[in-house]
Amino acid sequence: MRRARLALRLLRRDWRAGELRLLAAAVVVAVAAVSAVSWLAERVGGAGGERAAELLGADRAVRSAEPIPEEWLQQARELGLAYARSAEFPSVVLAGDATQLVSVKAVERGYPLRGSLQVSDSVDAPAEAVRAVPPSGTVWVEPRLLPPLALAVGDSLGLGEREFRVARLLRLEPDRGGFFDSVAPRVMLNYDDLASTGLIQPASRVRYQLLLAGPEPALERFHDWLVRQELRGVRWRTPEDASIGVREVMLRAKRFLGLSALLTVVIAGVAMLLTVRRYAARQVDRVAVMRCMGATAGEVTALFAWKLFWLGLFAGAAGLALGFGLHWLMLGLVAELLPAELPALGWRPALAGWLTAFAALLGFALPTVLRLRRVPPLRVLRRELGQDVFGGASLYLAALATIFLLMWWQAEDLKLAALVGAAVLATLAALALLAWGLVRGLRKVRARGGRGLLWLSGLTRRPATAAVQIMGVGVGLMALFLLTVVRQDLLDAWRGSVPADAPNYFLVNIQPEQVDALRTRLRAEDIDPVLHPMIRARLIAINDRPVRPEDYQDERAQRLVAREFNLSYGTALSPDNRVVAGDWWGERPADPRTLSVEQGLAKDLGIALGDRLAFQIGGEAVTGTVGNLRQVKWDSFNVNFFVLAPPGLLEDYPTTYITSFHLPPQRQPLLTELVRRFPSVTVFDIGNILATVRGIVDQGVRVVELMAALTLLAGVIVLLAALQITGEERRFESALLRALGASRASIRRLARAEFLLIGGLSGALAGACAALAGYVLARQLFELSYPFNPWLPPLGAFAGALVVWLTGGAGSRRYYRGSPMRLLRGGDD
Amino acid sequence: MRFSGPEGEIALFDGLHLSIAPGETVAILGASGSGKSTLLGLLAGLDVPSSGRVFLDGEELTALDEDARARRRALKLGFVFQSFHLLPTLTALENVMLPLELLGGEADAASRAAAALAEVGLAQRLRHYPQQLSGGEQQRVAIARAFVTAPKLLLADEPTGNLDHHTGHKIADLLFGLNAERGTTLVMVTHDRELAARCGRVLRLQDGRLEAA
Repeated sequence: MRRARLALRLLRRDWRAGELRLLAAAVVVAVAAVSAVSWLAERVGGAGGERAAELLGADRAVRSAEPIPEEWLQQARELGLAYARSAEFPSVVLAGDATQLVSVKAVERGYPLRGSLQVSDSVDAPAEAVRAVPPSGTVWVEPRLLPPLALAVGDSLGLGEREFRVARLLRLEPDRGGFFDSVAPRVMLNYDDLASTGLIQPASRVRYQLLLAGPEPALERFHDWLVRQELRGVRWRTPEDASIGVREVMLRAKRFLGLSALLTVVIAGVAMLLTVRRYAARQVDRVAVMRCMGATAGEVTALFAWKLFWLGLFAGAAGLALGFGLHWLMLGLVAELLPAELPALGWRPALAGWLTAFAALLGFALPTVLRLRRVPPLRVLRRELGQDVFGGASLYLAALATIFLLMWWQAEDLKLAALVGAAVLATLAALALLAWGLVRGLRKVRARGGRGLLWLSGLTRRPATAAVQIMGVGVGLMALFLLTVVRQDLLDAWRGSVPADAPNYFLVNIQPEQVDALRTRLRAEDIDPVLHPMIRARLIAINDRPVRPEDYQDERAQRLVAREFNLSYGTALSPDNRVVAGDWWGERPADPRTLSVEQGLAKDLGIALGDRLAFQIGGEAVTGTVGNLRQVKWDSFNVNFFVLAPPGLLEDYPTTYITSFHLPPQRQPLLTELVRRFPSVTVFDIGNILATVRGIVDQGVRVVELMAALTLLAGVIVLLAALQITGEERRFESALLRALGASRASIRRLARAEFLLIGGLSGALAGACAALAGYVLARQLFELSYPFNPWLPPLGAFAGALVVWLTGGAGSRRYYRGSPMRLLRGGDD
Repeated sequence: MRFSGPEGEIALFDGLHLSIAPGETVAILGASGSGKSTLLGLLAGLDVPSSGRVFLDGEELTALDEDARARRRALKLGFVFQSFHLLPTLTALENVMLPLELLGGEADAASRAAAALAEVGLAQRLRHYPQQLSGGEQQRVAIARAFVTAPKLLLADEPTGNLDHHTGHKIADLLFGLNAERGTTLVMVTHDRELAARCGRVLRLQDGRLEAA
């Protein structure tokens, strides 16, 4: 403890002397990034085990595409289980002439069996926890439904063939599911009112659930009984399953944010490497004197290890405070997506933050500082001894290992960590190399040019630190550019690729008997719709081998197999479809049992030309042979199907129709009319849905932008650390230039030129790299024709020059104040 | 002449009066801490005394502000330091070009600097960095840097202090050669009596007074 106290005292002195401030700043930024993300993830994702039952609203649930049969209820009653039914489906509500796509949920008395709903009487009123359902004739709605419909609590809205009074506002529904289930606002009504809306028709897409609660043995027996019924299309859900969707989204978001936080940690790590090197070099004489006075190498080691421990503790605490504040800011940015009440603050993020602080100091700082034990006491007499204690690659290996371990920790996946780690290091190395090349190039230009190129000399005099500075600031700027300019460019390019008259409305759930009337009505409006028949089916076997979700590794494939998908039939191939293998059947198929499969689906599920596919439709099995594979342009916004059949195979199964069309905004009243006339038909407003999704993405992006700003801050600390390293050199240069006759103003001009160059180069590089990344992303990933944005490099140069000029100018002023007399005092006086 | 230091104002020089004629060579001797380097700094206008005046080429340096004094240094003064003080990241040529560039980017800076280096016998070392040169060579670069602007006054602070006897002798030859060829006034501070003896006038600084030695 004596050493710990001594280390604390010495640390205080170092701090007063300004020795460790940048190192501490780097730790603060790194901890802030990691802890903010960690807090955010914990509070938003609060899907811990203890809340799992609430996420299901029950102890168990049975989900089915068919209404819950009476005998299930009978069975639950016999086993002494509490139960409640629910049904969920998309629909459209009407209020005056306004329509809005909503997600309807009908709930039976008793719901929720576990947890509670939060409701309020007005937008401003406090939320109140209830375990109840809306009384008959009323609905509870999410507050965000009110503004687009110009509704208030107490007003009426139309749902199907009924009118309902909006009784209360739904503030939190624990079993709502993940972000992306939440695109359409919720309307909750009483289960007993469901039939009277007329919204449920044969083949309507409804998710029925039977919620169960009770003792574990009874639940087990219900499960066994259910299994014995040998039903298909029924899913037994446990609380763990319920949290999977939420957990998946949260896990991905957390990974992404965690890894972007690590980018900040890596840049801050570079700053730590730089500052600690200078700090340790300045300690060499002190250590030599201590050794001379009898301190052992072990004592020196312990002293400096303790110093770093204290630094990690204090700087870590400051970083946590900053991270805590940032997490509030981030929560504010995504507030609209979140329930009114969030889980309480946990202590784990604080631990994660401190762990980051110590891991970073351990990897980036400790190895350098520990080298001080090698300083020989004889240095007090022979100055040349102990100059080379900081050599060797092992210092950098420790840093690399730390980066990798931190990545592994955040990604929770070795392969992902290795990939991201390699990508980050490759980007850093590429930036550093480019920076180095530019600096070398300028140096050549200056050496050749001679006249008037003095302003280049600041940069070329310090090629290594200049390259590190350019890299540090460049990475931060690049992250920001990717998130702002490039993202916007990509969105614009995508929007540009969608034709102006692309369908913007989808009508689904059209009943066969409504087809003619609907077609006539639409034709009267000069819309010639193609109404596609749609049959819901589940893939059960490929080449007579049963398929189960667990047979597939890929998540998308698992989902595709688990859920039902839509089949259709016809003779014409849509213009946005292209047969890539086999032949289209045309008017007259050789074999009516031929199927056409979309190539992406075929690839995911391992389906090849000539395979025999078996589907279950209702209770019957239907088989067909894959006759061709199609490539589909999904972003045409036309109706398309994964699997098509020729006429003659599917006509006899329950069918609804679907269509899409373009309707200019001024003709929107038509929709209101359609909804009134065909209440069971659901209208999807694509523009509206895209706007909502974009709103969600935008809010998410703002959080990531905040992370990028932190990365830039870490880059600025690298800049300042490099300035500090070159501080002594700058003092000397400034004194020499003054002695040689340079005015203060011209020395300041030189420094300014250096900073503008560093900033300009890093910004231009960042801009060019971001534009290139955008170009590659667009071409390779999104298949968009997106031109290289020529404005990004100059824009980047300007932004970079501004940032570095401001911070560098402020950070270096003190180096240019010294008197030139010091050059003479280097002599004997 | 009074001078302000960190502990307040101190009288470092007592009734000091020195006048140096064009083309003269003057050596200033003195013990450590006697104020030799401070005197050199005042002569160069690197610093100003709190009382007393310094004239250079008929103009009162002490009446000028820092930037004006810097301008006079650029035009009229050359400096040679004991520790050479070359910029380590610039080549020999770039180091010698520096004062010319500070004067405003002379068009022929590179050729003039190369000529100056040739004159001190370093024509083959233009692209070398200071750490690739010996101590004597570094000091020769420093001398080339000092006279490349054709200054009227060359100030040297222990110019041979960090060199061995033989090399020091050669450097001294170079300095006195320049004085003879160009009529450059040479003022040097030194410990070295032999070097001092080659000067036209030798002064000793003791207890703040300057006396002929």
